[in-house]
This record gives sequence, structure tokens and C-alpha cells, in this order.
Amino acid sequence: MFEQPLPRWLAWATDPEQVRRAPFLSRSPLFTGLPRRLLARLSTRFFEKAYHPGEVVFEEGDPGRALFVVVEGAVEITRATPQGSYVLNTLGPGDAFGELALIDDFPRSATARVATPGRLLILYKSDFDALMEGHARIAVVMMRNLSRRLAIYARRQPGVMGGPGPGSETAGPL
Amino acid sequence: MKAGRLLAWGGVIALAWLARGLALPVFLAAALAYLLSPAVAWADALAIRRSVAVGALFAVIITVLVVAGFLLGPGMVAETAALVDRLPGLARQIDVGLNAAVRELAETAPALRRLLPEGGDWVQRFVLNRGPGEPGDLFEHMGHLFLLVILVPFFAFFLLRDMHRLIALVMDRLPAQHVETSVAVWRELNGVIGRYIRGLVLDGLVVGALAALGLWAARVPYPLLLGAFAGLANVVPFVGPLLSAAAAGLVVVLTPGQGLAGVGRVVMLFLVIKVLDDTIIQPFTIGRSVHLHPALLLGSVVVGNHALGVLGMIIAVPVATVLQETVRLLLEHRRMLARRDLRGRPGRLVA
Repeated sequence: MFEQPLPRWLAWATDPEQVRRAPFLSRSPLFTGLPRRLLARLSTRFFEKAYHPGEVVFEEGDPGRALFVVVEGAVEITRATPQGSYVLNTLGPGDAFGELALIDDFPRSATARVATPGRLLILYKSDFDALMEGHARIAVVMMRNLSRRLAIYARRQPGVMGGPGPGSETAGPL
Repeated sequence: MKAGRLLAWGGVIALAWLARGLALPVFLAAALAYLLSPAVAWADALAIRRSVAVGALFAVIITVLVVAGFLLGPGMVAETAALVDRLPGLARQIDVGLNAAVRELAETAPALRRLLPEGGDWVQRFVLNRGPGEPGDLFEHMGHLFLLVILVPFFAFFLLRDMHRLIALVMDRLPAQHVETSVAVWRELNGVIGRYIRGLVLDGLVVGALAALGLWAARVPYPLLLGAFAGLANVVPFVGPLLSAAAAGLVVVLTPGQGLAGVGRVVMLFLVIKVLDDTIIQPFTIGRSVHLHPALLLGSVVVGNHALGVLGMIIAVPVATVLQETVRLLLEHRRMLARRDLRGRPGRLVA
């Protein structure tokens, strides 16, 4: 089925930013399963910011207060060890990180640094909490998606649920 | 570079000083914008362009105000006109009562004679000589009111339409590493202020409606006017409910045939409304947005009154709440950073 263009008056009354943002978020694994209506409500709570290469989004140990979604560019997730820092993962458009800040007050478990010029969407915990008060479905779906990510991470980690041995550490939820 | 920055800051401060007259309209516009922001957020979720959504919202508000004016306006105008006509007589009656009381007190306790005020006719002088003396003063008062009526919706319109652009501009200029914490603090405060303002207005509407209904049922004159006053005065903590009860009580005292029983009914009515407000209405409207200790609440109202009068009393609670929340969030941030430093800060990243 081919898509018909919107009438001119309707196109003029439509916010292009919002039209772009909600479908983009629906492709992110963290928001999979959210109904379109709730996704649209959630997407209004995001802020967007441009980042330059090398800029640190947050450092390991920083207080976590927001979730980030990569819109453009690449973000490196690194962790410091006594031997030096190493890259755990490189995230691209549609990937979310920092999601644990939405559920607890613990410091960040890794550092996020922008590798190429890009834009990130930022969702603050206070906005997420306010939205959840009226829409419990968002909390249920997002917690289910987050639990899936945690389960995958836990299976990969050494000593957790009989996962693979040393040297297999990968970036989990931050 | 440093001199240039200092010059720029100096310019900003000078400009703010010159535009200080706009502080009240901007403050009221911000409150109106907070009040209407959920409707705009709802339109955002439907992907409606901001300018269209805000324009439609203002059109709806103007229509509602016009309809409410047609429905309630004649009653309010009639009550106000009747009160204004009766005001000189009412003031004279109160003065007669007060003069008699002062005379009686002076005769009973001559030692107090020096302390008692002299002259009499206080209420007549206070109420009837309040009007602007010169025609120029009248125009100035009208001008201020007209400017408020025009400027407040004007500023609110642009705040609602363009605030997200302004935020995006500021966020793009903030250093990347400070964005998360600084904006998170602002978002929390924004949520507290928004909930408080929306709750306060809703609370005032409910209290005003209850007072008007109760006064009408108790056959007190001017129920619409007194109800509207009770709703408006409710935004001033502690003093507001007392003032509205006193106003209604005064009207009852000066109304023939109401007597002490009428005063008792009014006192009971405002007492019931206050209890209902504290136990049922406020938890639903203002809810958990304000966590101030009662002593801090009272102290902030006193300080607000001292600094800015009635306006200070109105804004005292949100300002004290914002200060308290800011201190709490900054302390929490410092505690988390201290915990991180104790564990050992991670080394610099290898690119």
C-alpha cells in the first residue's frame, strides 16, 4: 500500500520533529511493544542535544539521572580497570544507554563518550516518573524490555547464571 | 575576552534593571504557561505543531471566558454594584460600632485612654478615600491593569510556543558533561513548580465554588463575589482563608436579620471548607509537590510578606520549595560524587 501525502493544511499543522521521533523510538529495543499512543506521549518528554567527537556524556561513577538514545553518530562505552580503559561496546543510531538511571540511584557503571559527531535524545528520570504515574503500561513494557536486556547481560557475565568465562565482559545496561 | 564577558554581563544586568517593570507580567505569564502546559504536551503527543496548538488553546480559553462572562458576569456585576452603593452606609455603620467600643473601653479602663486611637471614622477614611485623587492617577491604574491583561497572555503565548526551542538552544551550549545533572535538577524543579501552580489554581477554584455555594445556601448576601474572593484569597497561605472568612462575617454582621447565628453559620462554613481543603482537596490537587515543614512554610510566608507584600506571600511557598529541593538535589549530588571519589576515580579514557 503506497502512502498518500498529507493535505497541505494538515502537513502545515503537523510537527515534523514529533512525526520523526516517535517511529524512530519504536525501533529501539528498549521501547519495543509500546503502543503508538504511549510512544507518542513518551517521545514528547525527550530532549535532544548535539555532541562533538570526544565529548563525555557521563563518566563511570557519575550520578545517573537520565536515559540516552543515539539518534546520529556513534557512542563508545568504556570501563576503567587498573590496567587502563577499554571499550566495551560502540553504540549507533537507535541504541539506548544509561537506562538503569530510570530505576535506581546508583552511580554509572561505565563511561560514555561520543566517537563521531552526533545527536542524542535524553529522557530524565523525573519526566519518566511523572509519565509513569498516569501510564503504568509504559512502566510495564519498559521494565520487561529492560529485564530482557539484563537477562542477556547476566548470561554473558562470568560467574552469573553459569555464563562464559573470563574475558567475555560486554556492555550491559548502564 | 574577560573584559568583553564582563561588559556583556553588565549589559544584561542593566537591561534587566531597566525592564524590572515587566517582572510581574512575566511572572504571571510563567504561571499561566505552567497552568496550560499539560494541554500543550497533549497536543505535542498528537504531533500538532506548537503554534497551532497554542493558538487553538488560547482561542478555546477566550471562548470559555466569554461564555463564563455571559453566564456569571451579570450576577457578579450586580453584586459589585450593590456592594459599592452600600459601601458608604456599611463603612458608617462599622465606624459607629467601633467608636462606641473604643469609648466604652476608654471609660472602663482610663489607663488605656492614651493607647487608644483618636479621631474615629477609620473605616470611612480607609474605604472611601482609597480611590485615585486625580484623573491622571485613575488613568495610570487603568493603564497598569490594561497592560497586565494584554501582556500576561502575550508572554504566556510565546513561552508556551517557544520554550522548547529556548531549552534546545541552552542545552546545545551547555558543556556535555554537565547536561545530565544540571538539566535533571531543572526538570525536577520544573515538575514541582508546575504541579504546585496547577494544584493551587484547582484548589482555589474548588474552595471558591464551595464557599459560594455554602454562602448562597446560608442566605448570605453577595455569595458569588465572596466565593470569588475566597477562591482568590486561598492562594495566600494561612492569611487567605482568614481574610475570606472575615469578609463574609463582616457582610453578615452588617446585614439586618442575620444576627450572631448568621456569623456562627459563616464561621462554621469556612471552618468546614478549611478542614475539607486540608484533608481532601489539597492532597488531590497540590498533592506531594510541596514537602515543606510547617515552621518553614510559615516563616517563608512571613518573609515573603515582608519583602514583596501580597505577591511575596503568594510566591513564598513555591520559592521556598524550589530552594529546599535545589539544596536537597545538590547535597545528593555531592554525596554521590564523594562516594565515587572514595571508591577511586576511574583513569582517563584511551581513545
